[in-house]
Amino acid sequence: MSASTITRPFPYLLLPMFWASRNRARRREKGDLLRGILFGGVGLGVMGALFFGAFWLTWQAAQYAELGDYLIRIGLSWLFLTFLSFLAFSGIVAALSTFFLSDDLRLVLAAPVAARRLFFARFARTVAQAGWMVVVFLVPVLAGIATAKCVSPLFVFTALATIVPFVVIPIAIGSAVTLMLVNVFPARRARDILMLMGLVFATSIVLLLRFIQPERLLRVESMPEVTAFFATLQSPVTPMLPSFWAGEALFAGLQGGSDPMHIAALWTTAAAIVVMIGWAFEKWHFTGFSKAQESRKARFTQWRALDAMAGLLPLSTVRKHLLLKDLKVFLRDVSQWSQLLLLLALTLVYLYNFRVLDLDRLPYMSGFLKNVYAFLNLAMASFVMSTVTVRFVFPSVSAEGAAFWIIRTAPISLRDFLWSKFWTGLVPILILTEVLIIAGNELLGVDPFLKRMSAVAVVFMAFALVGLGTGLGARYPRFAADNPSQVAGSYGGVAFMIVAVLFILVMIGLLGWSSSVYLFSQLRNRPLTNAQQIMIVACFTSAALLSITTWLLGMRTGVRALQAMDRTPA
Amino acid sequence: MIAVENLVKRFGAFTAVDDVSLSVAPGQIHGFLGPNGAGKTTSIRMIAGLLKPDAGRIVVNGHDLNAAPEAAKAALGFIPDRPFIYEKLTAGEFLRFHAGLYGMDDGDIETRIKEMLEIFELGRWQNELVESFSHGMKQRLVMSAAFLHRPKAVLVDEPMVGLDPRGARLIKEVFRRMTQHGVAILMSTHTLEVAQEMCDLISIILKGKIIARGTVAELRAMAGTPNEALTPVFLKLTGGSGLQEIDEIV
Repeated sequence: MSASTITRPFPYLLLPMFWASRNRARRREKGDLLRGILFGGVGLGVMGALFFGAFWLTWQAAQYAELGDYLIRIGLSWLFLTFLSFLAFSGIVAALSTFFLSDDLRLVLAAPVAARRLFFARFARTVAQAGWMVVVFLVPVLAGIATAKCVSPLFVFTALATIVPFVVIPIAIGSAVTLMLVNVFPARRARDILMLMGLVFATSIVLLLRFIQPERLLRVESMPEVTAFFATLQSPVTPMLPSFWAGEALFAGLQGGSDPMHIAALWTTAAAIVVMIGWAFEKWHFTGFSKAQESRKARFTQWRALDAMAGLLPLSTVRKHLLLKDLKVFLRDVSQWSQLLLLLALTLVYLYNFRVLDLDRLPYMSGFLKNVYAFLNLAMASFVMSTVTVRFVFPSVSAEGAAFWIIRTAPISLRDFLWSKFWTGLVPILILTEVLIIAGNELLGVDPFLKRMSAVAVVFMAFALVGLGTGLGARYPRFAADNPSQVAGSYGGVAFMIVAVLFILVMIGLLGWSSSVYLFSQLRNRPLTNAQQIMIVACFTSAALLSITTWLLGMRTGVRALQAMDRTPA
Repeated sequence: MIAVENLVKRFGAFTAVDDVSLSVAPGQIHGFLGPNGAGKTTSIRMIAGLLKPDAGRIVVNGHDLNAAPEAAKAALGFIPDRPFIYEKLTAGEFLRFHAGLYGMDDGDIETRIKEMLEIFELGRWQNELVESFSHGMKQRLVMSAAFLHRPKAVLVDEPMVGLDPRGARLIKEVFRRMTQHGVAILMSTHTLEVAQEMCDLISIILKGKIIARGTVAELRAMAGTPNEALTPVFLKLTGGSGLQEIDEIV
């Protein structure tokens, strides 16, 4: 028998994905269960919160009869309009990977698979990759609204009939944009550009949402603004968009009726777009894929200034070169540095919150509240620090990947290697957190003692958390991971976050209790008793010792783990 | 079985493959030799249907790759230099998927998978995840896949990389047997001893152009080194040994 062209339907091409998931589930690795419980718990918690949030809002809106229905209708239109843009963008990014950059394409394209079958299989993957988040978000929200409105269980079918084509339409359009982009630009450069655009988009949304100051709507004196607010809400809802059709179809379902016209519009549009894009892919996919094979990865710059700057640092040649290598690899990887944009936006929002925090509205409490907020600021900044550490510092050893043999075979001690990783991570993280703490406390106008104490505490905590992150990153490396986020979500990453949170809580407890005793004595003009003085010193000393121990133990664990490593990835 | 006519591939201003023509008859092993960056892998990837040529025609088993890509690919087996294998699949699952890709009958698949795994000495690894395989084992698994659907022609890019002597001997034996059954093999390699031992015909490519073609004896004659092994012949045809420069540096 000789083989012939593949005759099996397109889902056959998705089989390796299912088999791989099944095998992964059967052969669990260390920490999988813990990670599953943690992430599953967080996921369920978020879904529960969305369900109850949607339920509560609908319940509240229902108190205002027609106005309530109007609000739900507008809310649904806005929700779907937001998802429409999100799905289109997500579709562009996912299609780049599934249709053009995925490793297994080389295997499948060398086989006699008809272009149409390949398109359907890859499109199904794109829809799953780009749409799952929206579906996971929509299910509890719609369930919450439906429960509050006591809708018949048959609403499930209306929801399904609406969501499926609604998700397909923007992702199909996104895939078409990708096809066009890849035929114009090299695929990898297109991916970098898109990633950057996406982050700029997300950053602007975060900043915009915050600077609108939605909390103003809750104030009685701003009621006239609410009317204007609703007037502006209605303006971008156009009946020509699938988001409008989806909102209307679901609203009709929630009222106990049905809206076959809009559901039909969704399905026919989805079918037509998929057919057209399938045809375009048959025609231009191979040209785009071939171009994606040819193009080299984008190189933005040689970063010669870095070389010059590193030359000025008082470091040994080895450390200088390790530092330069880490910095250049980081700066040339758009997926890495571009996340700093989002971080910058979150930092701005964080500081802006302190700026607009109107504590003077509570005159009797403002002094006390400001100092409580100072500790909240310290705790929040520490959590930001641990998150940044798990995302950027923890994966630093794993980031060596298959090139780790270069370090292991070079005449460099693994201690030097790991300490170089530590310092490279410490400096930016310390600067970031100090900016957050100093600027936050300045904007709040807290007691000078707390300002100084927080600034010093952050130095100790930064050493501890970055040391712990670097050490555990070396203790639980994932050299085969595709990206740093995967490393951050691994067993070691989760273990780091648990230890980091415990550490922060203990530190806040030690510093908070002793500082409050001191501040109260100042406030009441009463001198500290001997016992109080001893306790305060003991608390501060314990906090310092705990930080130093965490820092050094973390690093020692890492160095020992590297030295004991019996296999070098290749 | 494989016929390539005037193949051209440009990457921007750089011409990687420049007017390459060659053919591989049934039962023949055609060696494709050349220094690094000469255009071997680019040519093979175009014949495998992974890169679009800028000009030229590729015909496999009578089917034009551009006009009837599925029919041409169905007759082809491909062993890439850096193969992709799903790491989280077992060897058996990978081959089963591969068989389905090439439209093999369900009834035939299991027997054929067992047969191929035995031939490539991977029988007892059938139910192990690919991620636990060594480089040589992965290489042998990819070869099992390439021969699984009984192709009429096979493209091989650097077959001996990462194989131990036993593995290398096994591969040579399998290639010989396959050619006895009429399979045409186009093989790119740097291992000149392998080329000398196995190839019926050798094409030497340099800077994207075929500069010499013939049997080992014919190539020796072309280089004016009638009794030499293939290495000096290759060096002479592709532009010197570079040993003098090395001496100067050292």
